[in-house]
Amino acid sequence: MTTMELNVSPLGQVEGDLDVRVQITDGVVSDAWTEAAMFRGFEIILKGKDPQAGLIMTPRICGICGGSHLYKACYALDTAWGTYVPPNATRVRNIGQACETLQSIPRWFYAIMGPDLTAAQYSSFPSYEEVARRFAPYVGTSYQTGVTLSQHPVEIYAIFGGQWPHSSFMIPGGVMSAPTLSDVTRSTSILENWGRQWLEGQWLGCSVDRWLENKTWSDIQAWMTENESQANSDLAVFIRWAQEIGLDTYGQGYGNFLATGTFLNPDLYTNPTVDGRNAALQSRSGIYANGQYYDFDQMRVTEDVTHAYYEGTGSRHPWEGVTEPIDPAEGAKQGKYTWAKAPRYDVPDIGYVPLEVGPLARQMMAARPDAADFQDSDPLIKNLIDELGPSVMTRVLARMHEAPKYFRNVQRWLKELDLHGEFYVKPTEPSSGKGFGATEAARGALCDWIVLEDGKIANYQVITPTGWNIGPRDANDNIGPMEKSFIGTPIENPDFPVELGQVAHSFDSCLVCTVHAYDGKTGKQLSKFRMGGG
Amino acid sequence: MSLGTGSTHTVIVGCGNLIRGDDAAGPVLVRQLADRALPDGVRLIDGGTAGMDVAFALRGARRAIVVDASRVGVPAGTIHKVPGEELTDLKPPEGNLHQFRWDQALGFAQWLLKDEYPPEVTVWLIEGESFGAGEPLTPAVQDAVNVVADAIVADLTVVS
Repeated sequence: MTTMELNVSPLGQVEGDLDVRVQITDGVVSDAWTEAAMFRGFEIILKGKDPQAGLIMTPRICGICGGSHLYKACYALDTAWGTYVPPNATRVRNIGQACETLQSIPRWFYAIMGPDLTAAQYSSFPSYEEVARRFAPYVGTSYQTGVTLSQHPVEIYAIFGGQWPHSSFMIPGGVMSAPTLSDVTRSTSILENWGRQWLEGQWLGCSVDRWLENKTWSDIQAWMTENESQANSDLAVFIRWAQEIGLDTYGQGYGNFLATGTFLNPDLYTNPTVDGRNAALQSRSGIYANGQYYDFDQMRVTEDVTHAYYEGTGSRHPWEGVTEPIDPAEGAKQGKYTWAKAPRYDVPDIGYVPLEVGPLARQMMAARPDAADFQDSDPLIKNLIDELGPSVMTRVLARMHEAPKYFRNVQRWLKELDLHGEFYVKPTEPSSGKGFGATEAARGALCDWIVLEDGKIANYQVITPTGWNIGPRDANDNIGPMEKSFIGTPIENPDFPVELGQVAHSFDSCLVCTVHAYDGKTGKQLSKFRMGGG
Repeated sequence: MSLGTGSTHTVIVGCGNLIRGDDAAGPVLVRQLADRALPDGVRLIDGGTAGMDVAFALRGARRAIVVDASRVGVPAGTIHKVPGEELTDLKPPEGNLHQFRWDQALGFAQWLLKDEYPPEVTVWLIEGESFGAGEPLTPAVQDAVNVVADAIVADLTVVS
């Protein structure tokens, strides 16, 4: 038996880094440890600040998902203050959230997945030439158009929000935006151009409506051979390639999921409350664990610091959350190994379990029975999971499937805007209260918990999708979702473990890493391999 | 990105994270310029940490001025104006959207914009010392921001 360790270690830069050690036994990953190498003290900065500081600060946590941070920070305050949010404002917020994700989908596919898909390691596979011709970074034909056109969805965000990213135009009680008819006309035409050129023209090879008719894996297979245009689409090429190089066989993870849902119904969430949120979500929240669905209840979320560089052990609900960093060297003596806390969810009858967040989780919730009329109800990705199981391929397909869905949403919200209606109603500002705001960033569930006392922030806790996915072991030594998904991955060539890149990139965590390959017995470094973050 | 007017000829971009100490030098400088009288056709952009979007924002401008923080180990507040010959043929980054440095953003812009890449590009770097979350600019960096802002304004007035 040969055991070696692959160590994915940090590059010291500003946004935060991820360090993954992977142990390999007989060519297959047998254990993994994710180590967030940088402390992000946003919670500490926000303590004692003005209640609205989260609207300015949290969108700066990330240069990719700033709009998502703003969306949930705003709802955290809406619920804490008990605001009235006019339906138009909710539509504008939804447009912003969806456009940010629409931009991210092709960028992630071409710029993050593309280099792995075209890795030289695959050059002996029959379709390599075609795949490289399309997806090779910077020179691939599809890469060029996909990335070049990716700017258009956030141009719509900027029309409503003034700028993207790092805008703070969503505020408690609505949005700071007074769109005109020409803003809406321009937005619609930008969206439709992008839809025609990239989404339909290049990615799907068919209309959005035709793609959305697919409800099962066998529908997709039939769709792939239905005509030449669909067979030659980037999506069909990806699916064939994924099966050819085995992306449907690894990266499974637990197969247990959490989504906090997003896109509040404009008419059903005019008075945002924590308890009323689930019923007002178009893209539903929920838990899927051991084959069962459960309602999402934010009170069941905790963060465990047993293995993280913070004071103490055990877990707390974010409203009671504390962020007391300790010296990593001291922490290491207590079995701590990362700056990331381990978010866990107390599933009824099962207990605290690690759950994967992201597009796959969202699309699992979309398949849950008993949706209200306005809620997204879509069996496709659940069928893929039932037929094929979770994998790098199904994770990618879940994310890409959201492009046509979100495209339709934005079209509809733009149409529904009432330009003569209200976009903001000034709230009263009670000096104390508790709030919870959440959304789905492109890469998964994103939540803020806020506690206000004496007109100031007494506690502020953010759980990011990267936090859910890359979190470490907990008090019960359950390993984190991404740690779990590395296990079982076959490593063809330890000198260039492209498979680890495929798994990590399928989660699109916001962190950058370098892989160092070690022989587990001798400790000798075998190779160094950098993986980009989302 | 802010919205531009149709007649933008100069784009000034401040890169960096506003809430990470001296990394905020670029965004802070852009905010300072927003309060000053600038010639028409100048567009200010808080590039934040979205490197790829900085590239899109340069499309079609005659001049681009990029301000970013550096961390090369010289005294805090050291100002570095990158020589023009260093700015041709930059390499776009590989597989990472979160951490474009200024040179990678410009390299990406050269690939992306081709003929629409600004013919004149100036890069100012201000050496930072402390990059902790929530920290203000260190005094030496704040002084350097003022110096660079003055230099940019003086230069704009001459050219425009």
